[in-house]
Amino acid sequence: MLGFRLLPWEYGVRNLFRRPGRSVLTLGGLTLVVLLVFVVVGFVRGLETSLAVSGDPRVVLIHSLGGGDNLENSSIPARSAALLSASLEGVQRRQGTAYASPELFLGTNVSTEGDAEPAMGAVRGITPAAILVRRRVQVIEGAWPKAGEVLVGRLASAKLGRGAAALAVGRTLAIEGQSWRVSGHFAATGSALEAELWCPLEDLQRAMKRQDISLVAVTLAPGLDAGVIDEFCKERLDLELAATPETGYYASLQKHYKPVRTLAWLMMCLVAGAGVFAGLNTMYGSVVGRIRELATLQTVGFSRRAITIGLIQEATLLAAAGAVVAAVIALLLINGAAVRFTSGAFVLRIDSVALLIGCGTGLMLGFVGALPPAFKALRMPIIEGLKAV
Amino acid sequence: MPLVEVRALTKEYSKGDQKITPLKDAHLDVERGDLVSLMGASGSGKSTLLNMIAGIDRPTTGNVVVDGTDITRMSRSKLAAWRAQHVGYIFQMHNLIPVLTAYENVEMPLLLLPLSSAERRKRIEIALDAVGLADRADHYPRQLSGGQEQRVGIARAIVADPAVVVGDEPTGDLDAESTEQILLLLQRLNKELGTTLIIVTHDPKTAAIARRRIRLEKGELVEAGAPILKRELQRA
Ligand SMILES: Nc1ncnc2c1ncn2[C@@H]1O[C@H](COP(=O)(O)OP(=O)(O)O)[C@@H](O)[C@H]1O
Ligand SMILES: [Mg+2]
Repeated sequence: MLGFRLLPWEYGVRNLFRRPGRSVLTLGGLTLVVLLVFVVVGFVRGLETSLAVSGDPRVVLIHSLGGGDNLENSSIPARSAALLSASLEGVQRRQGTAYASPELFLGTNVSTEGDAEPAMGAVRGITPAAILVRRRVQVIEGAWPKAGEVLVGRLASAKLGRGAAALAVGRTLAIEGQSWRVSGHFAATGSALEAELWCPLEDLQRAMKRQDISLVAVTLAPGLDAGVIDEFCKERLDLELAATPETGYYASLQKHYKPVRTLAWLMMCLVAGAGVFAGLNTMYGSVVGRIRELATLQTVGFSRRAITIGLIQEATLLAAAGAVVAAVIALLLINGAAVRFTSGAFVLRIDSVALLIGCGTGLMLGFVGALPPAFKALRMPIIEGLKAV
Repeated sequence: MPLVEVRALTKEYSKGDQKITPLKDAHLDVERGDLVSLMGASGSGKSTLLNMIAGIDRPTTGNVVVDGTDITRMSRSKLAAWRAQHVGYIFQMHNLIPVLTAYENVEMPLLLLPLSSAERRKRIEIALDAVGLADRADHYPRQLSGGQEQRVGIARAIVADPAVVVGDEPTGDLDAESTEQILLLLQRLNKELGTTLIIVTHDPKTAAIARRRIRLEKGELVEAGAPILKRELQRA
């Protein structure tokens, strides 16, 4: 037991219908605020998950010394792939084939048919070995790219800011002044790869007039860790190679996004702050017109605590309704919406964490909004409250 | 033992360096089952005295003892719980909760007592019946006339069967006909239920139903022309 009796539930509910116009306006305001919170949290969660799922713990990226921060800047000789697969211990092998994928990775202009302006796309030159190492990649439509063809990631259209139709199978893209036919689409369990365009390595090298590659991605043999590869790179200093676990690479990318995330959270706090004022305003309006009534309840014998809880109940009820409406809208409209971002694209994710934060913020708005007016009304002596009009 | 004992009660307000003393060393005993009217000029301190007896205001010095309990020393939360059980308050302007029906308004004090909903229902029905509004249980205050609203207010004041029911100008806001009804009702409650009533009024007709008529003059309680303390001394 609480040690004191609460006001009846109906009292709070019916008070919300006392001034329906005001309640509806507040509901709208709170819904909007919570929706904005959902957008921000969905954004951050989407970004985080995309980077978090991007790293495959068994994959190590071998790149040039100092190229580990941004693989676009890494350059190693093309023969490194063969050399590594021959001499590297600890790489997964099957039937004599080493799981080592030489890749050329770059950001460059890409235009779709009828485009006036090209857009920045992430392009990866690959060989059939890529399918061994990139085990999460799945061709979901069409086929693996042959010469002059490109395999398009699920989120590449979002990254390029084009409609899905522009990248449909059979359409052509212009990359580095050469045209490429879309051979198919791939998914990669939400990882950053999904925003990329994959071409056969040799074709891309020719188009780029490059002989080098950016990196070799290798799969570790079961039970081994990246230390093996690291040691090799340190022994063979002449090759000027360095190794970064793929998970580590994406973790370091996540660090780059820290300011963006901080900004996003800051924005959310500002929006939530504005929401508190909406809640406060309503509750002040609602309480000020009820001073005598609240004094009457005290005269009858309800404690100030019970009345405060009643007022909080009212406000959180309204806020909860707003949060539910916002959550439904968020799940229907925001969840899964693709967002273009500097180095790729990802989808907004309204997951359980986002729901928790969004709805929690909504309820908190109601709670925080109810407290000051409740204190103001109840600090007044009862006999003064009874004289209020 | 009297039901209500007011002992050396003084209430002082200071506004800047000005002091107002609506009550000065007041003494009053109210016996169980009595019907007392309290008259006096506007601003003479009638409400102040009533509110201290009802436990919603505190004296500057002195004591109020109700049913053997000195309520002037209770903590705020204890006092709230005490009011629920021991005092019924009839307001000048009924003060019903607009979002609750007549039934629910009368139920409010009972929610503070350890009663089952069946027990509450029985009591509410009795109270509404006593004020002649059993058929209006589901009506909201706005669907009732001023006199009916006040009767619901009276039902709310008596439903918990409190030791004392106080009224601060309960007929002050009503027309002559409704006033008549309310006065009859209060008399009946006093006679039939034995409810102890203390009614503040400036209307002689309302005061006329009382068995004891008390006046507040210059901070002093006067009964039948003599200060109460003096009368009691004479009686002793
Ligand atoms: N909160 C207050 N502050 C200062 N003076 C007050 C306050 N409440 C009442 N008074 C004064 O106390 C006196 C008695 O008031 P009250 O008991 O309401 O009179 P009434 O007999 O009309 O009911 C009045 O002079 C009033 O102005
Ligand atoms: Mg008064």
